[in-house]
Amino acid sequence: MKDIAYFKKLAHQLMFDLSDDEAKDIALEFETLQKQLSILEAIDTTNVEEMIYPFEMPTTFLREDVVENVCSQEDALKNAKAQKEGHFVVPKVVK
Amino acid sequence: MEYDVVIGIEIHCELKTATKMFSSAPCIFGAKANTCVNEVDLGHPGTMPCVNKEAVKKAIQICTALHLEIDSLVKFDRKNYYYSDLPKGFQITQQFHPIGKNGYIKINVDKEEKKIRINRIHMEEDTAKQFHLNDITLIDYNRAGTPLVEIVSEPDMQNGKEAAAYVEALRQTLYYLGVSDVKMEEGSMRCDVNVSLKPKGSNVFGTKNEIKNLNSIANVQKAIDYEVARQKALLDAGKNVEQATRRYDEALKETVLMRKKEGTVDYKFFPEPNIFPILLDDAWIKAIQADLPELPDVRKARYAKDYGLNDYDISVLIANKELADTYEKVMKTANNAKMACNWMLGEVSAWLNKNGGNLANINCEYLGQLINMVDAKELSNSQAKDVVLPEVMKNNDPKVVVEAKGLKQVSDTSAILSIVLEVLNEQAQSVEDYKNGKDRALKFMVGQVMKKSKGQANPQIVNKLLLEELAKIINN
Amino acid sequence: MFKDYNLENVKAKVSEALVKAKKSNELYNDVVTFVDPSEQLATMPKSGKMLGIPIALKDNVCTKGIKTTACSNILNDYVPIYDATIVKKLKDAGAITICKTNMDELAMGGTNLTSNIGACLNPWDTSRMSGGSSGGSAAIVASGAVDFAIGSDTGDSVRKPASYCGVVGVKPTYGRISRYGIIPYSSSLDHVGYFTRSIYDASVALEVLAGRDDLDMTSSNREVEAYSDNLNSDIRGKKIAIFKNVYDGLTNEQTKEIFGKLLANLKAKGAIVEEVSFDEQLLKAILPTYYLIANCEATANHSNLDGIRFGVRKDGKDVEEIMINSRTAGFGSLIRKRFVIGSYGLFVENQEKLFRQAQRVRRLIVEEVKRCLDNYDCLIAPASNDIAPKLDDHGRDELSNEYLIVENHMIIGNFTGYPSMTLPMGLIDGCPIGVNITCRAFDEQTMFNIGASIEEITGLKDLKKEVA
Repeated sequence: MKDIAYFKKLAHQLMFDLSDDEAKDIALEFETLQKQLSILEAIDTTNVEEMIYPFEMPTTFLREDVVENVCSQEDALKNAKAQKEGHFVVPKVVK
Repeated sequence: MEYDVVIGIEIHCELKTATKMFSSAPCIFGAKANTCVNEVDLGHPGTMPCVNKEAVKKAIQICTALHLEIDSLVKFDRKNYYYSDLPKGFQITQQFHPIGKNGYIKINVDKEEKKIRINRIHMEEDTAKQFHLNDITLIDYNRAGTPLVEIVSEPDMQNGKEAAAYVEALRQTLYYLGVSDVKMEEGSMRCDVNVSLKPKGSNVFGTKNEIKNLNSIANVQKAIDYEVARQKALLDAGKNVEQATRRYDEALKETVLMRKKEGTVDYKFFPEPNIFPILLDDAWIKAIQADLPELPDVRKARYAKDYGLNDYDISVLIANKELADTYEKVMKTANNAKMACNWMLGEVSAWLNKNGGNLANINCEYLGQLINMVDAKELSNSQAKDVVLPEVMKNNDPKVVVEAKGLKQVSDTSAILSIVLEVLNEQAQSVEDYKNGKDRALKFMVGQVMKKSKGQANPQIVNKLLLEELAKIINN
Repeated sequence: MFKDYNLENVKAKVSEALVKAKKSNELYNDVVTFVDPSEQLATMPKSGKMLGIPIALKDNVCTKGIKTTACSNILNDYVPIYDATIVKKLKDAGAITICKTNMDELAMGGTNLTSNIGACLNPWDTSRMSGGSSGGSAAIVASGAVDFAIGSDTGDSVRKPASYCGVVGVKPTYGRISRYGIIPYSSSLDHVGYFTRSIYDASVALEVLAGRDDLDMTSSNREVEAYSDNLNSDIRGKKIAIFKNVYDGLTNEQTKEIFGKLLANLKAKGAIVEEVSFDEQLLKAILPTYYLIANCEATANHSNLDGIRFGVRKDGKDVEEIMINSRTAGFGSLIRKRFVIGSYGLFVENQEKLFRQAQRVRRLIVEEVKRCLDNYDCLIAPASNDIAPKLDDHGRDELSNEYLIVENHMIIGNFTGYPSMTLPMGLIDGCPIGVNITCRAFDEQTMFNIGASIEEITGLKDLKKEVA
């Protein structure tokens, strides 16, 4: 069984935290999920290709290389919480 | 202990397109921050990618030039990770179905030709540019979404020199294709190198280190040479090489540790659901391939055949496409290919280095005429270089300049002979000195003739006639 | 209905709609943001298929300059800098947007209980849920405030609330309507859908919304048909397949009865109505298949919500901390749990047996349905076993057949991308229940025609629980 720490770590990789209760909930729900997933796993899919798109006829359209849509700097930064000299600002990123 | 060095190179190259890989916002280097973006590049909710035809065309050109098999069914995948320069939280790339597979490029190192195999070429999008200040980082999304190709070599290189030759060969090829600016210093071509050592003859690869973001071809070689020595020293001392990402510190002239690799990162790749597979029209691919710009190798062969230039001259010319292009235009007028080549590599390059200016602005017909005058000995080398070339570079007709400045070199033997005789007559003392073996006297008399001819006499003819006449005097 | 509007009464009708919508919102909490219509009225075209018709948009439809939150805290203050393609199309057709509607957070739910502004209530019985995720849009159409509202449907998110609220809920073929500008859930399952109170209105609306959009590479090049002109309720000779597995799973006798009566009437109108059974094992796998595909895609789709460029940003000492704090505060519990599951399914070591297995099973299910529709014009089943559940109803057994098949069969429409629609078939205890029909890819005309016939049979055209 996957424990609370496991799900917390997983959440962290997705850039958010889970409270103890939330992690506990997931661990519990995971049990139900595993049962549902066992239905899935029981299905024989030998030689069955993944269906990635609802329709599988290849398309041919490619966009012409012409500038059509560019927004103003003001619009680009409109939703930014911190900006400076036309840039988005974040605390210093240490590479 | 003896080791085999194994080097593989990944090159990211920005494609020169008007718009982004997946959006119709412009790609302009050096524009004001966040003015070349739209909602797609900023990763706004609800936006969807739309593939740029020109980027695909350029990728096909690259694949063709590098002999890769092209997959005409174009598919994209998501590479998931979180980073401040990655607007969507994933990069759209071609993990599972690269557009090109299994190619090669030829390199020349120490006069030996070698094929470096290319594993794959895929299309993807660039990230935003970050500027790190003291306590904050500024983000400019203009670069985000710029079309990139990643060119992944097989680990076929064995030393820094080969690696540098590979990068240079690729750089030239991409440049000649016109698909990219390939400016390593501006980041339009970026180079990551994997280096590992294994005991000579062993089949087991050693632990590799990746050196990231090398910003010049010279540094590719220096970084690899350093890294090879570093790893060798570790192994010789019985230590392990740890897998890590490193960078090259130009000041220290060393590779320095960026981060250790603890296992591999799981990017959770999966097919991009918002781009259905795109079937490229075979006729379109063929048309692109048939219309490929001339590649460096083809041009080299042509220069050898058409101009009879030697390998060295050719390689120097080819290394600078604009210079080579200008040379070809000059050769429409110039008669002497070797002389024209020397002028391009020598006087013309020197003048541009000193005075600035653009090869594209040169009037190649005038330059060709100037070279022909020198070739026909109508103009001395020094006059051509010092007086006429600067005028030609200002777009002035060399014939008019020569006329106006009265520079036309006199090669008419009888006219020069009369001046020579005049000088011999006037300079009895010098003739006497010459008889007594003073060589300086000859130089003096040449100078006198040149002076009387206002510099227009062909100095070689002056020399020849003087010697002939002096001989006559001595023999009498 | 659409025919009630004209150039002369636009302003009055729009004001009336706004008054009703406000009332509806007071009663059912179906609106997130009201939109001042004055600019739209001023720039309205002279003609159009939806001229002057007040409409509502689900709050995951991006509207330039108008707050769009998808009912998630992380987008609480997000003001899009662009219009979704359908917003432009609706404007061009003369429609007037008066509000953005309540929904499950990021459309990830079927109850509308997960919205950051609270549950949307069912107009027919406010102790019941509207259903989700497009609950607000379903409720506001049911309330009569507007005659049309946009929804989105990833796994029955239009068709389920349509059933619960007694309105027509249409999910056209995948690619029929551009998704550009719709805040996604799961890209390979997401569809733009909508609500009306009549089949005729539904057929007109599709003419406005459908069509190729180069900004959405998955949108179809097929010509948009004249659905409303060609609307024909004559279903003689039409072959209708009863979804037997669903019928067999029904436990509510009244639902069975209403559905049975409808089938008898369809036969009486000359349709050939036959039972068709599907592989039960595959049907039971619908939910886990959906769950995996949807959440795997969703976790990637929402990785852009990081507090850096837009949306709520919580402080942090570095970028990672900003992202973590913003996303922790910005997403509800359920969303974060689903992302965790989705990410789990995408891990290299799990992807083969989870995400890819789900994609393979999706193909098997689609092939099964395709075989059926090769022989039938339409697949029919009740949209649900029962009327809308009570708000506090948590008592369902998530491994039972009733739940796995009866409550999730409409997801087939998302797997296949086939057009699928729910419309009211009757009332139980004063609350509506819908019937679902699914047709062949791009055969919306047949879907509307059969729908029109059902509408004649039930007499439930323009069914509404009108706000005073």
